[in-house]
Amino acid sequence: MAVRVGANVGEGQVVFIGTQIEHAPLARALARHAYAAGARYVDVQYADPHVRRAMIELGPDEALGHSPAWLIERAQAMAGNAMLATTGDPEPHLLADLDGERVGRARQTDLARTALALITERKLNWTGVAYPNEGWARQVLGEPDVERLWDAVAYCTRLDEDDPVEAWRVHMDRLGRRAEALNALGLDRLTYRGPGTELELGLLERSRFGSALFHTAAGRAYVANMPTEEVFTTPDARRAEGFVTSTKPLAVGGDVVEGLRMRFEGGRIVDVQAERGADVIRGQLEADENASRLGEIALVDGTSRVGRTGLTFFDTLYDENATCHIAYGAAVGGHEGDDPDDGINVSTVHTDFMIGGPEVDVDGVTRDGRVVPLLRDDVWQLPE
Amino acid sequence: MDRLDRYADLIVRVGANVQPGQTLFVVSLVEHAELARALARAAYEAGARYVDVRYGDQHVRRSMIERADDDVLTDTPEWLVTHAKAMGDGQALVMIAGEAEPELLADLDQERVGRARPLAYLETLNTAQLARTVSWTIAAFPHEGWATQVFGEPDVERLWQAIADTVRLDEPDPVAAWREHDARLQERARQLDALDLDRVHFSGPGTDLTIGMLPGVSWSGGGITTTAGVRHMPNMPTEEVFTSPDWRRTEGTVRSTRPLALGGTVVHDLELRFEGGKAVAVHASTGEEAVRSQLQTDEFANRLGEVALVDSTSRVGRTGITFFNTLFDENATCHIAYGTSVLFDAKEYEGLSPDELRERGANVSNVHTDFMIGGPEVDVDGIARGGETIAILREDTWQLSS
Repeated sequence: MAVRVGANVGEGQVVFIGTQIEHAPLARALARHAYAAGARYVDVQYADPHVRRAMIELGPDEALGHSPAWLIERAQAMAGNAMLATTGDPEPHLLADLDGERVGRARQTDLARTALALITERKLNWTGVAYPNEGWARQVLGEPDVERLWDAVAYCTRLDEDDPVEAWRVHMDRLGRRAEALNALGLDRLTYRGPGTELELGLLERSRFGSALFHTAAGRAYVANMPTEEVFTTPDARRAEGFVTSTKPLAVGGDVVEGLRMRFEGGRIVDVQAERGADVIRGQLEADENASRLGEIALVDGTSRVGRTGLTFFDTLYDENATCHIAYGAAVGGHEGDDPDDGINVSTVHTDFMIGGPEVDVDGVTRDGRVVPLLRDDVWQLPE
Repeated sequence: MDRLDRYADLIVRVGANVQPGQTLFVVSLVEHAELARALARAAYEAGARYVDVRYGDQHVRRSMIERADDDVLTDTPEWLVTHAKAMGDGQALVMIAGEAEPELLADLDQERVGRARPLAYLETLNTAQLARTVSWTIAAFPHEGWATQVFGEPDVERLWQAIADTVRLDEPDPVAAWREHDARLQERARQLDALDLDRVHFSGPGTDLTIGMLPGVSWSGGGITTTAGVRHMPNMPTEEVFTSPDWRRTEGTVRSTRPLALGGTVVHDLELRFEGGKAVAVHASTGEEAVRSQLQTDEFANRLGEVALVDSTSRVGRTGITFFNTLFDENATCHIAYGTSVLFDAKEYEGLSPDELRERGANVSNVHTDFMIGGPEVDVDGIARGGETIAILREDTWQLSS
């Protein structure tokens, strides 16, 4: 399903799988299915967080942001091809005892920039899927019940349906209609009100809501996240005011950030507080000059299968689909030549964090000043 | 330090001899992650600028061999050529050996298995090794599947102990023990060079073999020194002194004294007959076809590329174990290899094209397979250019002295 619906691998494509050692059984299955779907060649790149830990702990400063030339070349070779990425952190606290500032800086910026460029230029059909494993299960469920986590993953990704491919078609149609309804409103901004949240986010006149059903420039349809429950758009990077409190823990760079609170002024995050992990966020926000501006706004309601599990997955692929979220860093669907001062953010960072839930009301304000309720009690307010 | 960290430290300091500011490349199987991680820690502690681990996956390779187009089997993605070139830019490299699942590819079309090699990658790496612009080593990591192959049961601990013993990890100061060992092997190579041999002769049960030497090619043993002056140990363990013979001058018969693991097949009782440098007859009680097909890989696969001398002080030989892994088995006893030569230490031959090398007697082929021909019953003599015969090995004991 990940190969056929998600990345929608085409005959003769090279398939790039980005994974980690602990996900080897899934990576191997993806490789088999990719060849069966007609892939010309499957290249599996295993990342190893333990090697990364050694670098952060013992390596020189210059190692932290280093992108090996061959990996950049590999990323460039993804143009016109397919990519599958796996998530599901087997050791969520692996980096927790290290210097948070160094953890935040340990990002392969050049490599990230190359990969992001391909995605924003729509040269790549890709998807992300999770692999249930013991460590992740322990974090989510409090015990290493991999089977129960598999059930949750199967439910969220509609693998429990008799015909998952058809279920995905129906689901993506529905999200597509939501996006159209939002676009028809002519919104100028969104407002969020809830406990610890009083936030106003500007939209651009050209901001368009969409679902994760994307098309490459060459016209190949693919679903970029499995699961996906969101409709999202690019906000105005210059217009964010107020404060927001995250409603779910956020797993980032091997650490878990809890109780995250941020204050915005003039589009920028100007203050970060957290009960845990604030340094990791601060490190990321310093990655480049526009990391502290927003690049995504996404709306999710209570029908979300992810939300309905009631679980916190500590995995953005899942948690961002449980409820409304925003992301600081690069704009989704940006293009070459975008300019943050023109409203569309450019950054090597893109981190989603969750701000929605039954206690958070979301309204849209149209360009002619009309206020339209979008979410109340986690229920979608526009006609579907 | 526990055993794993001591082993990693030894590989980093002696094997690849990682220098401050160098990048260490680690090429590992997924199943060897434990050692790869320890190597990363040890290398950063030794001052590495960056540690770049690339994991291969034999299961993914299996899918490729099963399903991919013919031309994909031998293709190298261009970024992997860049990867290999980066290693050859004065950096360090550790390759981790040891099959996790020796039988994984056994049911596939063996012709495709044999062909599934990223040629441009291997060629780029080979060029860097011959040019001595990379300090590299191969070291092994134990795994259940390999232990089962060796012992008939998944006794990983026993295999760990055997590996630790052969790489001198039991010594109080393994680094110093390796320096001493390196010096001893170098001394043996120097002794052999001093004899100015025209040929060597092996005689024993089923063996009466004469191999012609190449002028200007020295014997090597122990480590290699890169162009930047870094001494590294290409194999851990290593017990051999070796040279590249004249591919035109091998005559007689030879009988293998140990089983040979060849891409998923085990060859027993191999016998070869050479005429005018060429293997003209092949016999074996098992695996004869695998050897025959290798010898036909290219025009020069059936000529010798290496002759290596090992005596009974070998720690590998002393274990009495057949490891089904060339890294170990070739260090148990004397061996020869058909296929490409091992010109790591032959300045006169540096920079020559394959044709030029062959013209001067050094073999070039896509194959290099070592097989074991030594043991207590096999005498080894050298015949000097002056005609004098000198005993080199008797009853597995080294006969030369300085």
